[in-house]
Amino acid sequence: MIKQIILLFLVFFMLSCDSRNHIRIYYLPKTHTNNDRQQTKIIESQSSEFSWEKPDSWIPSQGSSMRIASFDVPFSTGMGDLSVMELSGDGGGLVANVNRWRGQIGLEPLEENEIMSQAQRGENELGPYQIFQLANDSSSDRAILAAILSMNNSTLYIKLTASNDGIKELEIDFKNFCSSIKYDTKI
Amino acid sequence: MKQIIKTISHPKIFVYTVIWLMVLTVLGTIAQRDIGLYASQQKYFSSYITWLGDIIPTPGGKFTMIIILVNLMSMLFKHNIWKLRKAGIIIVHLGAVLLFIGSGVTAIFSSEGNMVIDEGAESNYVDDYHKMELAVVNTSKKNLDKYTVFDEPLLKKSNKLSHESLDFVIEIIEYYNNCKVQRRTKSSDIQYKGMMKNFDLIKLKPEKENAQNRSGIIYKIENSDSNNDGIYGLILGQSVIQTATINKQNFEFLFRKKRTYLPFSIELLDFKKVLHPGTGIAKSYSSEINLIENGIPRRVLIQMNEPLRHRGYTFFQSSFIEAPEGEATVLAAVKNYGRLFPYISSIIMAVGLLVHLVINLPRLLRKQMVGNK
Repeated sequence: MIKQIILLFLVFFMLSCDSRNHIRIYYLPKTHTNNDRQQTKIIESQSSEFSWEKPDSWIPSQGSSMRIASFDVPFSTGMGDLSVMELSGDGGGLVANVNRWRGQIGLEPLEENEIMSQAQRGENELGPYQIFQLANDSSSDRAILAAILSMNNSTLYIKLTASNDGIKELEIDFKNFCSSIKYDTKI
Repeated sequence: MKQIIKTISHPKIFVYTVIWLMVLTVLGTIAQRDIGLYASQQKYFSSYITWLGDIIPTPGGKFTMIIILVNLMSMLFKHNIWKLRKAGIIIVHLGAVLLFIGSGVTAIFSSEGNMVIDEGAESNYVDDYHKMELAVVNTSKKNLDKYTVFDEPLLKKSNKLSHESLDFVIEIIEYYNNCKVQRRTKSSDIQYKGMMKNFDLIKLKPEKENAQNRSGIIYKIENSDSNNDGIYGLILGQSVIQTATINKQNFEFLFRKKRTYLPFSIELLDFKKVLHPGTGIAKSYSSEINLIENGIPRRVLIQMNEPLRHRGYTFFQSSFIEAPEGEATVLAAVKNYGRLFPYISSIIMAVGLLVHLVINLPRLLRKQMVGNK
């Protein structure tokens, strides 16, 4: 009887051996597909008025009471801070705000035409907006990527603060986030 | 030897194991309600040992089926079965053996996953539904990236991963089936790197629907001869790539669903969706694609109940994604080497039963007539 049990055990052992190789090596040409988007986006609706889509690695954080939303935005070598604010009217003006941000990272203020020449354009359901990428080569640990969107009676300010490398890495996610902002239809 | 065959081919083994298989089927069906389909399948049917109540070890579905297979096969080694009178029984046994071999082939070699393709874009890989992988990508070369991929069975706690293509060792600290990212409230003396400097992965109870689980991994890089030694973390769906420069080589660490590359690619030309009038519910949707092989495109329409079958793969229209930047189709890709086994074995068993009936019918009739007299 013991022999039979041993035989059964051996059969079981042989059949349960997993001989498949679990390490694979392959080479692929350098390409960046956009097919990972299914996993990386979730729809958020944190404010009472707006909704947006953000990468799920962005983590809601505690910001000042003036902010509609705040996120900790991780990148490969650190963490950025993203804020969404709605200010009444023009919120102090586009030029004044951009120059204030420039000052925060040690850059000199610029004239309106110079600022506008550096602006990138975008549009979402709320309307057109400008994006400003501000970086100081002599101080690479702090850079700003911001979008300003003028609405009827208010202005929406979306500002991402990170290192120079972080801003470059997060630029696409930031632009996608801006383009996804809309009025929350669930109200 | 005769004694061994006699013992392992005993019909009682078959009867008891089949009864046990029925018990497992009932338990697995009930368990689906609490732990979900995938977890139940893994626990009761794809395991060698099933722990009842996490205390009592019992034979799992895989083990039970192996015993049945051995029992059926050993039946064929019996000398007294190889008679013309028992030809039907032999054929039925062969059919049943083939059925179990087919289920083994399916369990070991088959794969299923999905393929997400943006309109106008092309894809040549399938992401598995359940299995995960850790890919270490050497991006130092100009045109080609070198992938060293470790499959999920290797991503167990305390396991050390190494390969000749890597100058360092990866030790798995934790592997979570489901977890979330949480900001650290206190600074730590531990040498955390990348995302883990500011965040931690917190283990969560697995969701019933496996697709809702976000797997995570915490690993340690050792012997890198640089200041990159430390503890790193990755979570499924992390959009920010974890990078490290080790011995002047640039690496990316990706934790994702197991990716299988195909010898052909599929380009999505147009995705069409038809809604039920006055509702947002999809009535039908279809994908017009280009199947590109060796640079030659072939136009195909994939729609509900009309999948594309190519090179052993079957692509079903499964779902779609609508986003501000456009539509994307989701194709379910299934490769099942054992697909034909149930059909063939069922036919063989049916033939066997018929042969058995034909051979034994005269004898039965004779008995009947003698009985009547």
